Amino acid sequence: MILSILIAGVAIGSIYAMIGICYNIMYSTSKVLSFTCGQLGMIGAVFGAWFIGDLQWPIWLGFPAAMLVGVAFGFITELIAVRPVLKNIDQHLYVLSTLAFALMVQTAAAIWWGTEPRPFRTLIGLGSGALAEKYWLPVVVCLLTVGTIDLFYRKTLWGRAFTAISEDPGAALALGIPERRMRVISYGLAGFVGALAGFVGGQLLFAFFAIGALLNFYGFIPIAFGGIGSNRGALVGGLALGILQQVANYLVGGVFVGVVIFALFIAVLVLIPQGLFGSSAARRV
Amino acid sequence: MSTFSNSGKGVADPANPGRLISQFAPLAAALLIAGILPSFVDNYWIQIASLACIYWVLIAGLNLIVGYAGQLAIGFVGLLAIGAYTAAILCEKLGVPSLVALVLAGCSGAFFGFVIGLPSLRLKNFYFAMTTLGFATIVTQVALGWESLTGGGIGLPGPVFPAPFNSSVGFYYLVLAMALIATYLLRNIAISNFGRGLVAVRDAEVAAEAMGVPVVRLKLVTFTFSGGLAGLAGALYAARQTYITPDAFTFDLSVMFFIAVLIGGRGRIVGPMVGTAILTLLPEIAAPLVAWSTFAYGLLLLLVVLIVPGGMADYIDKIFKKRPIANRITAPKVGVISAVISRAGDKAATSIVVKNVALAFGGVRALDGVDLEVQPGTIHGLIGPNGSGKTTLLNVISGYYAANQGTIFFGEHDIAGMPVQSRSGLGIARTFQTPRVLGNLSVLENAMLGAYSQFSSSFPLTALGLPNSRREDKAIRERAYRALTAVGLAHCAESRADQLQHTEQRFLEIARCLVMQPKILLLDEPAAGLAHNEIENLGTLIEEMCSLGVAILLIEHHTDLVFRISGHVTVLNLGKVLASGTPSEVRTNKEVINAYLGT
Amino acid sequence: MHTSAPESVRPLLSVKGLAAGYGSLRVIENLDMSMGQGEIVALVGPNGAGKSTLVKAISSLILKTAGTVTLDGDEITKLSPRECGKRGLVHVLEGHRVFAPLTVEENLLLAAFDVPAARRLELVEEAYAFFPDIAKKRHDKAGALSGGQQQMLAVGQGIVRRPKLLILDEPSAGLAPVLIDRVLEVVESLRAKGAAILLIEQAVEKALRVADRVYVMVHGKIVLNTDAASARAPGVLEAAYLGTSTNQ
Repeated sequence: MILSILIAGVAIGSIYAMIGICYNIMYSTSKVLSFTCGQLGMIGAVFGAWFIGDLQWPIWLGFPAAMLVGVAFGFITELIAVRPVLKNIDQHLYVLSTLAFALMVQTAAAIWWGTEPRPFRTLIGLGSGALAEKYWLPVVVCLLTVGTIDLFYRKTLWGRAFTAISEDPGAALALGIPERRMRVISYGLAGFVGALAGFVGGQLLFAFFAIGALLNFYGFIPIAFGGIGSNRGALVGGLALGILQQVANYLVGGVFVGVVIFALFIAVLVLIPQGLFGSSAARRV
Repeated sequence: MSTFSNSGKGVADPANPGRLISQFAPLAAALLIAGILPSFVDNYWIQIASLACIYWVLIAGLNLIVGYAGQLAIGFVGLLAIGAYTAAILCEKLGVPSLVALVLAGCSGAFFGFVIGLPSLRLKNFYFAMTTLGFATIVTQVALGWESLTGGGIGLPGPVFPAPFNSSVGFYYLVLAMALIATYLLRNIAISNFGRGLVAVRDAEVAAEAMGVPVVRLKLVTFTFSGGLAGLAGALYAARQTYITPDAFTFDLSVMFFIAVLIGGRGRIVGPMVGTAILTLLPEIAAPLVAWSTFAYGLLLLLVVLIVPGGMADYIDKIFKKRPIANRITAPKVGVISAVISRAGDKAATSIVVKNVALAFGGVRALDGVDLEVQPGTIHGLIGPNGSGKTTLLNVISGYYAANQGTIFFGEHDIAGMPVQSRSGLGIARTFQTPRVLGNLSVLENAMLGAYSQFSSSFPLTALGLPNSRREDKAIRERAYRALTAVGLAHCAESRADQLQHTEQRFLEIARCLVMQPKILLLDEPAAGLAHNEIENLGTLIEEMCSLGVAILLIEHHTDLVFRISGHVTVLNLGKVLASGTPSEVRTNKEVINAYLGT
Repeated sequence: MHTSAPESVRPLLSVKGLAAGYGSLRVIENLDMSMGQGEIVALVGPNGAGKSTLVKAISSLILKTAGTVTLDGDEITKLSPRECGKRGLVHVLEGHRVFAPLTVEENLLLAAFDVPAARRLELVEEAYAFFPDIAKKRHDKAGALSGGQQQMLAVGQGIVRRPKLLILDEPSAGLAPVLIDRVLEVVESLRAKGAAILLIEQAVEKALRVADRVYVMVHGKIVLNTDAASARAPGVLEAAYLGTSTNQ
């Protein structure tokens, strides 16, 4: 029993962690927290189900196609919801623009895909029971994602440019780093990661238009907990949240799980605003 | 010019008959139409109109939070749900009379409004938005899960009001009345001190604190008030729907309330009202495409944010509202100052004495044992190279930083531990290095903000529009107008403050300080960016205030101005006092010259 | 006044009628200045004078509301900071703003972002030649360096970009005297290699040691434009700084 709770928790937590990473990547080059991250997850699940389930495409075609849609939505987010408002001094506008866009995406999905959750086909068919694909796939992919992105940031020039831009955008600009190009690329990358989360999580979450809002919230908690910008924090936070959710579900039952998590969320935000792993950004004098 | 030499009654007073008529005409027309509506439309449309009124009750409150206070509360539907369920449960399960349940629903809304308000004190923007979202989700989840109380997924019947309110038309008039009351309350707050204070919290929180706005208290009171309205709206909603279930309170609805406020324009009343009408009508007009109405809302919000972030009302404002005339000159009338700043009861002049103040940030000693004294009726200049600690010292005196050691005496009181907001109540006024004015408000309203801490009417009494609060408002308005005359901005009184030039904004900050009737005036580089003749004007204003007994601390890089008007000059360098004496002593001091030349 | 001056005497940098500010605050208005090839020019003046604003406007880090900027014959007024950098205008910001989480080597590599990988390392080695002290720390995180070392790293970033004109904004701020001397030595070496340097400095005396010419800015205006020797004469700078210039 405990084992199945843990496994389910870790699986779903991996999906949350990946959405958290999606937030982080967008934030790293634009200092924007975007409401579209959860929707990207939904897109990955819905388009994955459409290509592979409805259109009967083989996985080696359906998967990249779904990811491409995610990347495209990442680019579109940057173009219409982020770039225009960055110039504006008013800090809060990006919240509204990304919220508006997210709402449009969600509604469009509801209209096109329908409002019923549809199952997501098993992809590889390896494992069953506690080791079913729907559990191990998100975890494996999540770990791979964290590892790859880490390598990207640490070993490639572009990854280091991302770090530079998020550390000190003014200095990066003065240094001649192609800020805008970097930002566009980062949003595409974030789109990929978000869609990936939905795709590998499709068997757990189903292809359902409403999971976007759900993932928005549950994907944000890991980074609020772990600190914005920290992918390791997102991983730890995501897994912890997933497990907590399953445990609470078992102990308290559906209703009050949400209350517990919400209360915890508020407490963490108020007490440790920069998160457990986040940098408390001591500004240079 | 002589038209502006009176106290400004004709021009600026909102109680002026001509002004009232022009303001109320559109509302009166809408009211008339609304009143006779039932006689020419059928039942279906009366129900739609009722829905619009109910939404408006909630949105009126939300307008204060989102529009005026600038808090991104996107999960407000949770309060609607709470109001609805409170009323339904009280009526259905406890047999409480429906009108009483209505009031109690308002109370529970107010309570939870307060609860949502608490995170807003620490969390901003995205974080706060997420929090309210989470709140709304939780409410729905509880409604779904707590079956014994809420009927779970099956739901509960809504309250039924006694005759004549149980008919379609009767109910319509009930909610119309409630909508009117909500509008009345909203308007009274919006045009009052509190409305200005909220805008200050939204747009210039740092300056708001310096003017004595109790940010925490004001936010919480506003959330409580708005929550109460939302709770009432919820009860009415439950009555209209006759049956409520958790899935009636969707996220989409919450976002739509939010959009209604924003499309109309932040800090307006008529705009959000129009937004509410659109919100209610759109699904009806687009009947076959009702699924697309949410999409349309998202698109509309996106367009508003990208094209007219201030909302449609802002856009209209910029076209129609009175612009300041081109080629205007700022001609101060210093003789008026005395009338502005003399306090009726409290004539005692007070000094500021700073002793041995030290403050370190990390390893850096920003202030290292500084002594300074400013006596009433004197001007004390404070100069020094970059990073010498001038502004830090000012921030310590005004209360933004707490010193690690040393004392600060205001007259006989050690104010070292006092929060920023309380210091303005004592009579400590300040200007900022970059002018912090509220662009969306008029120049006159900006000046009025200086008297925030002197306004004694409470929030509830102001909302009710009682004569006392109106009288106070009028007195402050007149005082503010005089202050504008004193600094030479009276001719811009009605214009938006963001249409002023930089130098005019600096003078506006000074006018705002005058309205506070200060005993101590702290000026942070007031001459920056001013032309030669403007600096002369500034000097004259400062000298006049000094002669009326105000103690003035002047930080400046325009050393010529400082040496000319100061009685005493202190030079800071690297957090320490390098020299202190008369202007002629200081300007010939070799060490001072070396410090400036970096040798 | 000049129609086709021979290339050797064409100014490297020509600024005409420049106006810039922040929001509604006009800091500089109708400002002219110029620099020749291989010149070291010191830009001095009291705080709030607008020196940083001027150089940020030149390198397009802030918006110019009027005026033109020409670099070596090309008009660069409307170009982005990145474009200006590609044409040889390199701006090292004040406050040693290096990227703390990255290593010294990574900081320098980033400065050579647009350069092909092989050449990048060469350029970085050239920068190390100027600052052997930080070469020793190449794999340390920039955040672990002292303020002075960070400043040298920041200047190193500027050198990697092979400037025609290098703008240094207060490179000596917070530095020990021996390090200030080091920085000024580097400035002279750069000039020897053909670069021109625009040096904003609080430590006026030291700046005057290496400078060819001096601009003094007060309250957004240039009040003095003279060669370094004349500026060193007693009372000249004092008068300009402390506002007694009008009494002359």
